[in-house]
Amino acid sequence: MTIFTHVLATAAGVQAMGLRGREAVLAFVFGVAVDIDHAVKAPFYLRAVGLHDKRGYYWRSSLQEPVALLWITPLCFYLGTVVPAVFFSIHLLMDYAVSYEKMPFYPYSPYVTQGWLLGVPDKVKELTLVGLLIAVNLLLWFRR
Amino acid sequence: MRRLPDRLLRPIARRLHLGLGLTPSQVSWGALWASLAAAVIISLGHVGIGLGVMAFGQVVDGLDGAMAREFGLSSAEGHRLDTIFDRVSETAIFAAFAAAGLVPISSAVLAIVAVLLLTSVCDRSGLDPGVKRFALYFGRWIPYPTLFALIFGVNLAAYVIGLLIIDCQFQLKMDTLGGDLDTVASRAVALEVAEKQASRSAAERPALG
Repeated sequence: MTIFTHVLATAAGVQAMGLRGREAVLAFVFGVAVDIDHAVKAPFYLRAVGLHDKRGYYWRSSLQEPVALLWITPLCFYLGTVVPAVFFSIHLLMDYAVSYEKMPFYPYSPYVTQGWLLGVPDKVKELTLVGLLIAVNLLLWFRR
Repeated sequence: MRRLPDRLLRPIARRLHLGLGLTPSQVSWGALWASLAAAVIISLGHVGIGLGVMAFGQVVDGLDGAMAREFGLSSAEGHRLDTIFDRVSETAIFAAFAAAGLVPISSAVLAIVAVLLLTSVCDRSGLDPGVKRFALYFGRWIPYPTLFALIFGVNLAAYVIGLLIIDCQFQLKMDTLGGDLDTVASRAVALEVAEKQASRSAAERPALG
């Protein structure tokens, strides 16, 4: 999913759970900023593809795969909050709705999947979710 | 070039192997027993003596590797045994600190979880900052709960960076493979599995022959 959709989902979650301060920051770190791993892959993209736009390049890393819950869960215990695990799981659920290849348990397992809701085109899923999330955000904003 | 600890431990390793006929795995067992004894002493509240015994265990732990390298006895099995014994030692010593009431049990559990996570990837990533039980020697100057938080934080961060290093290694494989980008991950992973199987059967062949 695009970063815009992740921001909308996280904002809705933050409002719905009434998070403030450190917890709101954690929500955005684990709901949106985990996409920072794309920056790690940027040098590889430039080396392999160059400066042109090539769709389908493998931008993902284990930083935003279910395997990351192995380190996010102990971190939640350390911080004494479930916010990182909750918002990271929301991020995962959204990404797994887009039908490119993903390796959920790499490097522990070679299992590769395309995710879920494969029968629905990616653009339809994203636009529906964006519409829904804008509505939820507005509703939560005006109910405050 | 020989590693500095190996050069320092070489005379003792030679004496233990040639004089007493000890093998690296017997030395590893000795190191484990020393660490377990240290854990018992620490759990009884004698932290200084316990850390002294732990230091002795760590020196003995260094001897097994030095002996294996000196006499060409290094093996994957020996490395695995050494790693398992190290983690058992750390678990026992961290638990001893909790039992002695020096740190909350949750801190000890989180520290060992982070160490175990790092161990699960450090052979592939090549990243291990070495901040484990060694950090406990600084307890004279830094409070133990802070040291346990440090062990947790450093090992967890190294685990995350280790995962990224392995991802980058895999990305290079995918980039070399090229072709259809929609299937490049599954093709690269299939290639990696085949390579692993080939190296495993190559390693087993001399043993069978």
